[in-house]
Amino acid sequence: MPDFLTRHIKDPGQRKLATAVQKGAYEGLRRALTMSRQEVVAEIDASGLRGRGGAGFPTGRKWSFIHAREGQSVYLLCNADESEPGTFKDHYLMAFDPHLVLEGVAIGAYAIGAHQAYIYLRGEYASVAATLGEALSEATDAGILGPNCLGSDFDLRIALQLGAGAYICGEETGLIQSLEGKRAYPRVRPPFPAVHGFLREPTVVNNVETLASAARIMAEGAEAYTKLGTKQSAGTKLISVSGAVERPGIYEVEMGYPLMEFLAHEAGGIPLGRRLKGIIPGGTSVPILTADEAAPLTIDYESMQSAGTMLGSGGMIVFDEDTRMPHALLRIAEFYAHESCGECTPCREGTGWMAWVLRRLLAGEGRPGDLELLLRVGDNIEGRTICGLGDASVQPVRSFIQKFRPEFEALEPAGMDWPAWQIHGHGPRTGRFGPPVEEAARSQPVEGSPDYVL
Amino acid sequence: MPIVTIDGRQIEVEPGTSVIQAADLLGVEIPRFCYHPDLEPEGNCRMCLVDVEGFPKPVVACATPVVDGMVVKTPHASPLASRAVKGVLEFLLVNHPIDCPICDKAGECSLQDFYMHPDYGQHPSQVNPGEKVHKRKRVDLGPRIVLDAERCVMCSRCVRFSENVTGYKELQFIRRGNHVELVSFQERALQDPYAGNFADICPVGALLSRDFRFKRRVWKLDYTDSICAGCSTGCNLRIDHFDGRIERLIPRRNPDVNRSWLCDEGRLSYKTLDVAPRVKHPQQDGEEADWVEVAAAADSRLRSATLGRELPLGALASASGTNETLWLFRRYVEAAFPQHLLEFRLARETEAVRERQDKLLRRVDKHPNTMGALHLGFTAGMGLEGLVDEAEAGRLGALLLLYYPPLVGEDSEETKERIVRLLQLVPESVVLTTHHLPYLAAAKILLPVAAWSEEEGTYTNYQGTVQHASRAVASPSAARPAAEVIGDLMRHATYGRPETEPGRVFAEIADRVPAFRGLRYNELASRLATAYPPEGRMPYGQDGFTGR
Ligand SMILES: Cc1cc2nc3c(=O)[nH]c(=O)nc-3n(C[C@H](O)[C@H](O)[C@H](O)COP(=O)(O)O)c2cc1C
Ligand code: SF4
Ligand code: SF4
Ligand code: SF4
Ligand code: FES
Repeated sequence: MPDFLTRHIKDPGQRKLATAVQKGAYEGLRRALTMSRQEVVAEIDASGLRGRGGAGFPTGRKWSFIHAREGQSVYLLCNADESEPGTFKDHYLMAFDPHLVLEGVAIGAYAIGAHQAYIYLRGEYASVAATLGEALSEATDAGILGPNCLGSDFDLRIALQLGAGAYICGEETGLIQSLEGKRAYPRVRPPFPAVHGFLREPTVVNNVETLASAARIMAEGAEAYTKLGTKQSAGTKLISVSGAVERPGIYEVEMGYPLMEFLAHEAGGIPLGRRLKGIIPGGTSVPILTADEAAPLTIDYESMQSAGTMLGSGGMIVFDEDTRMPHALLRIAEFYAHESCGECTPCREGTGWMAWVLRRLLAGEGRPGDLELLLRVGDNIEGRTICGLGDASVQPVRSFIQKFRPEFEALEPAGMDWPAWQIHGHGPRTGRFGPPVEEAARSQPVEGSPDYVL
Repeated sequence: MPIVTIDGRQIEVEPGTSVIQAADLLGVEIPRFCYHPDLEPEGNCRMCLVDVEGFPKPVVACATPVVDGMVVKTPHASPLASRAVKGVLEFLLVNHPIDCPICDKAGECSLQDFYMHPDYGQHPSQVNPGEKVHKRKRVDLGPRIVLDAERCVMCSRCVRFSENVTGYKELQFIRRGNHVELVSFQERALQDPYAGNFADICPVGALLSRDFRFKRRVWKLDYTDSICAGCSTGCNLRIDHFDGRIERLIPRRNPDVNRSWLCDEGRLSYKTLDVAPRVKHPQQDGEEADWVEVAAAADSRLRSATLGRELPLGALASASGTNETLWLFRRYVEAAFPQHLLEFRLARETEAVRERQDKLLRRVDKHPNTMGALHLGFTAGMGLEGLVDEAEAGRLGALLLLYYPPLVGEDSEETKERIVRLLQLVPESVVLTTHHLPYLAAAKILLPVAAWSEEEGTYTNYQGTVQHASRAVASPSAARPAAEVIGDLMRHATYGRPETEPGRVFAEIADRVPAFRGLRYNELASRLATAYPPEGRMPYGQDGFTGR
């Protein structure tokens, strides 16, 4: 396995500045500071690094959008809100190699001309805050960060901000609002953060892993990075795998690595010899893959895209044949209904509605047409919201129903179309329809699914 | 300047105009909840989705600036946009209580109106009442406003008003997803002196006026355009009345004067008309008299007390009268009394006319027509105080007073005492007024005149803008518009047959007074209070104040 990003992460004492520096920490920053900003941006651009927060936007390009006018301040915000279900890789980097993350933040800030950076840390990661905080004061005391970083004329202040436990604070404009002390209601774009960001100034929001990768790229050179991975997906990616695998955890893989090999070798295969049923490759916000679909794929942006899904945050969730897909989907749908910030209408009402319909289906109180209703609600959310959470909430619902339809159909009461008056306006329906829940939801292996016994 | 095509019609607009503004200019309706012409756009309701050529998905018209050559299709012309908007409206109704039968907004509710429109709504419901998220139904937000949180569509107009317009920052959302709920700061009563506006800008029946609640179904109301007479700002408003009674006042939009707002005092000023008993019949020396007699008596008594004794007439018309009234007042005094002291100041009107009481609308001068008085040739002069001095020195033969109690606040004790003193000192006095007030009790002759809202005419606000107010309701009993009463006095002074119809008086003023030159009476109403959108009325009341 490659260890471009995680080379020293398991070394004892890596959190301490002295040890980390011995292992080459802040060499990337040192090199960056000898170059011009434009050269750093160009080097990151040449490395092909893409955003690891989910969208995969080329990082060099994002940095190049910053054009500060006279008198404007520029800000770099490190997105450490990591709340996407199934994603827990940023935590690993921050908790075990905090200096790498800080170095990345410093390089990003230098590249865009920011003298103030914030790390917006997920509220539940309070222990990481202590680690990062210590690393920050050590590096500042040592003159690496702060005024005149590493003896250069570049000043940088980094501050740590803890969230209060909301998924929406990871959305870049929600994060900005939250950091400004406001309710994390995302902003309508345009204007984009590069123009009107934190405090209405030009701002870049980058994921933790993105910045950590940038630090390593500056240390090793863009070429070392492009040598790894595929043409469109350079370098390596952290995959946090969970669910029905023997060895859940965090793995650094080279882009282009076959998915099934990863499951079999790194993740240790599926316990008890069960068969694979589905994989969510990049956090719950991306469409699920059936075992069939997943089989030929490799871990990189373009391969995932060819199968109609996304690499996303690399939060991989594996389902085995015993998983009841409607139950799994309900868990996911409830997450989005709970985390929708409630600012824009389609997502506020739609996520709650989808969860409600799923809940009643699973309670055996579904109605004919409920599956169509779910899909229709999804269609009415997608593309009509302020931020990506709305679209994200639709992906699991649509893909689960499309790909595991028989299981859902088993929950829907059969056939008969009820006259409207029976459905509407008569209070909650208490009768049970369709097969009893337990029976319906016990999954049957999907017909014709291959035997991937891993 | 960019040219945009909306539903096949073209318009050239200022750079930076949003699609919804361009559509409003064209008179093409785009449904909206969160957009308001006097608030920053936020783009949260998603009701204004339109189809723009070259864009993969619908965009929000309120937050999308027009670019040259843009081709926009609204739900009226694009099935894609219509589908999107219908989806949004369906979402808005998922957890809506739909208690229109008991909701005071019914009849002027955007949600209702949009649902009834075939391009936006009319979907069959898919939700049982028992499945809805419930919120608080009756939240006390102080003396002006009551909140029904369930009816709120989370458009944030109220939040933005509170934050950006008045700066009180008293409203915010709590919780997430479909449990989001509007609350006031620490659940306290609203302190905002402009809180009444919340009920206007709320597109649904969530924030309701405590004053208007449960009073009258809105479709029973008659509407009359008028001007607030509460202070020298002259906010444009509409008098909503039923069966001769005023039920509420709501703002009309005029970007140059009051935008879309009214202060609470002005909004409730109609209630002050009921505080004291009205003068219902003319009175002469404490006896009820009829108009024909009393007008003749008033004129001759004033003249014999002055002309006969070679003393001047003290004539004071307060700047609450319309331009037409003040003009006739001046003409009468100048023609019939060779010696006169023509005044209008009760206190500091001339100094206060432009003085702000706060940052938004209110002004210190509580007279609606101080500028008008000045333009019509009344001068700062000696004012009420000076007249008292003259009377004390025995240099005043009689007093003619036109007095309206202020609609906002009260005249100072000092002013009232001066009036009492003056009436005691002069041998003859004729007072034209609206109410029985203790400090006017000493008047020899009391002539009842129409109060604000009961007469037609124009007022000139602090900016010098002449604004027209229509007559909304009838005066009680024998009270008549002051202009007519002065006309009667003039007739008796054999001054001829003066025109007292406001339009004709105004024409005369426009002819003779420079500040009014070129103005035409019947163009005033439309020149002011620019309808929003300018071309015709928005048929669905979604701007929260044009009503039905
Ligand atoms: C609902 C939502 C939640 C998000 N949460 C996170 C998050 O927790 N961490 C993160 O890095 N990016 C998150 N993102 C993506 C960010 O908006 C943003 O694209 C990212 O931080 C950009 O960084 P990158 O270019 O380095 O990927 C989220 C996006 C959405 C729509
Ligand atoms: S899509 Fe959802 S999370 Fe995003 S702004 Fe709208 S309501 Fe909030
Ligand atoms: S807010 Fe509108 S739709 Fe809702 S109950 Fe009131 S009138 Fe009906
Ligand atoms: S109370 Fe009214 S104005 Fe305020 S957010 Fe709700 S619907 Fe909008
Ligand atoms: S989103 Fe445009 S009016 Fe609400």
